[in-house]
Amino acid sequence: MLVLKGIAASPGVAIGPAVLLPGENFALSRQYIAQNEIPAETQKFQSAVNQTLAELDQCEQKVLGTLGAEYANLMSTHKLILQDPAFHTAILHKIQHEQLSAQAAILFTLQELAASFHKIEDSFFKERRNDLFDVGKRLANNLSGSKDNFLASVQKPSLLVAHNLYPSDTINLREHKILGFCTDVGGKTSHTALLAQSLNIPAVVGLSTASKDVHAGDTLIIDGENGLLVINPDRYTLSNYRQIQRDLKKTEALLKTINHLPVVTQDGHPLKLFVNYDPRTDTKDKKHLVTDGLGLLRTEFIFMGTPVPPSEDEQYNVYVATAKRFDMRPVTIRLADLGADKKPNFPLDEFDQDDNPFMGCRGIRLLLKNPELLHTQLRAIVRTACEVPAQLGIMIPMVTSVEEVRRVRRAFEEVLAEFAAAGKHPVNKIALGAMIEVPSAAIALDGMIGELDFISIGTNDLIQYLMAVDRVNQEVAHLYDPCHPAVARTLNLIIQTAHKRGKTVSICGEIASDTKMLPLLLGLNVDALSVTPRMFLRVKNNIRNSDFEHCSDLAQAALLMGSSDDIRKLFEQNNENENP
Amino acid sequence: MVEHDLKIINQLGLHARPAALIAQTAGNYKSTLSLTKDQVRVDAKSIMGVMMLAAEHGSTLHLCAEGPDEKEAAQAIKQLFENKFNEEF
Repeated sequence: MLVLKGIAASPGVAIGPAVLLPGENFALSRQYIAQNEIPAETQKFQSAVNQTLAELDQCEQKVLGTLGAEYANLMSTHKLILQDPAFHTAILHKIQHEQLSAQAAILFTLQELAASFHKIEDSFFKERRNDLFDVGKRLANNLSGSKDNFLASVQKPSLLVAHNLYPSDTINLREHKILGFCTDVGGKTSHTALLAQSLNIPAVVGLSTASKDVHAGDTLIIDGENGLLVINPDRYTLSNYRQIQRDLKKTEALLKTINHLPVVTQDGHPLKLFVNYDPRTDTKDKKHLVTDGLGLLRTEFIFMGTPVPPSEDEQYNVYVATAKRFDMRPVTIRLADLGADKKPNFPLDEFDQDDNPFMGCRGIRLLLKNPELLHTQLRAIVRTACEVPAQLGIMIPMVTSVEEVRRVRRAFEEVLAEFAAAGKHPVNKIALGAMIEVPSAAIALDGMIGELDFISIGTNDLIQYLMAVDRVNQEVAHLYDPCHPAVARTLNLIIQTAHKRGKTVSICGEIASDTKMLPLLLGLNVDALSVTPRMFLRVKNNIRNSDFEHCSDLAQAALLMGSSDDIRKLFEQNNENENP
Repeated sequence: MVEHDLKIINQLGLHARPAALIAQTAGNYKSTLSLTKDQVRVDAKSIMGVMMLAAEHGSTLHLCAEGPDEKEAAQAIKQLFENKFNEEF
């Protein structure tokens, strides 16, 4: 038995026989060409580039459908590398002036570029060599016509061992019989590692000598939790890992079995559970989740990276697609929370550099200064509600006073009147609510709750403003504290005020996914939580295992406590008792 | 010729995606665009050139644009830096 320590790149445990990925085949069949072969060789290079581009296009589509836009971006980066003028010029120069074969020209250019990447000290940038060689390898394969069929030839479920694995190989792993992989090189930030995580394949990278120490057919354990590779484990280790694997599977399976069950505590207290949704990273896996709807659609992305504000049509298309994606269950659209760190490319009124952007012109403040922006977004939302039977909610970001709410409501009613004049009415009533994330809105909520149909608490910003702590500032980030007595008391105040007027309260923010803090939120009698899709089933499971009466007692105790330490201890101890 | 000093304010620095955005954006303009860091000067239209600068969070690059649409081109690149390459929400 041999144990190698590497870097845990993707969690999980895989056990099985080893297959070894054959080494890089950059062997040159021919180095120089004759003068009269130059046009043909240039042509050969161009058609290999075109073929590779077509392959990358195909790959991009595939990734878009399975892993989402974030990973498809990687493929478009590869396309850019392939079309890079520096890369092209260097290769063509070598073919036309040094009379190198296309193959040799590609190889030498790659080596030159790789050498300059290698000089870079930062590991993050060194990783980028991989992207470069991935593209180069594809290109060289297309040139020689040799197809890389190794993965397709793997007959039984196996663990893949490679010196280096390219992102384009990794994407295809799940279609083949690969349960997990490990590599000699690579780091946690490599695209290969990120892909492995999203594919749910256990992986360990940076093992240095794995591809030399492992022989084909060896029994391997890839421990992606601890970054270990065990080669030919003894019986004790093997049975130990089989147990770990069973436990992990049990938890995962349990999470899947509760997907269709209602969100209700053990003593019968029901709760709504929504997801925060980003259309750019939607995947098949996420579509399987049974949710109560979409709790927070951040719309800023529609406004970013475009030279002009998005039109009503563009926004309408996004909202209709989102409503359909959620089968017409409730969808809460947050008006664009631009400003602070989210600055669009198009010019806006009152949009000078702020010294203190988080307290500057952002959210509803910015929309009210740019009424045409607000008007267009409201029109797109109302139009959606007129065309399809969606259940839409509009959420106002960064509200501080009732006057702001009134101004938005007026603008909203004007838009409704515009549509009514054209004979169009929303199929279902559109609710208007506010994101409570500024302390002033929380404290004076009684003054504005009458104007609102629902409220949602944005805990990330609320805690940041309560503590006066910028979470991005490393000097003070540790002061950001969800256990501070002010947090529990403010949440309680908001929920009590809203409930007195019969309005519902949801919480979106990281605190909603925090296992330890869940009893506090449940105990304060929140009506709904909205969490990221990744945490959805886990939170659901935690709610189903909770006792509402017990949570209420805990929350009441926390409200009487005066220090973060006491509150933290209370919930940590509770967590240990509940999940020993 | 238009010149700007640009500071990298996104946490991850100029990795592949921002480099891609810069190269893509630069490619939309006729002007010659270059970025310089520590005396290393690269073509802003080349994704690999930009990546090779290995510019990390907090470092400053010098942008140089020359050509018929130099003003617009420089402005577009500047905007990308200021928006942290649209990656921090």
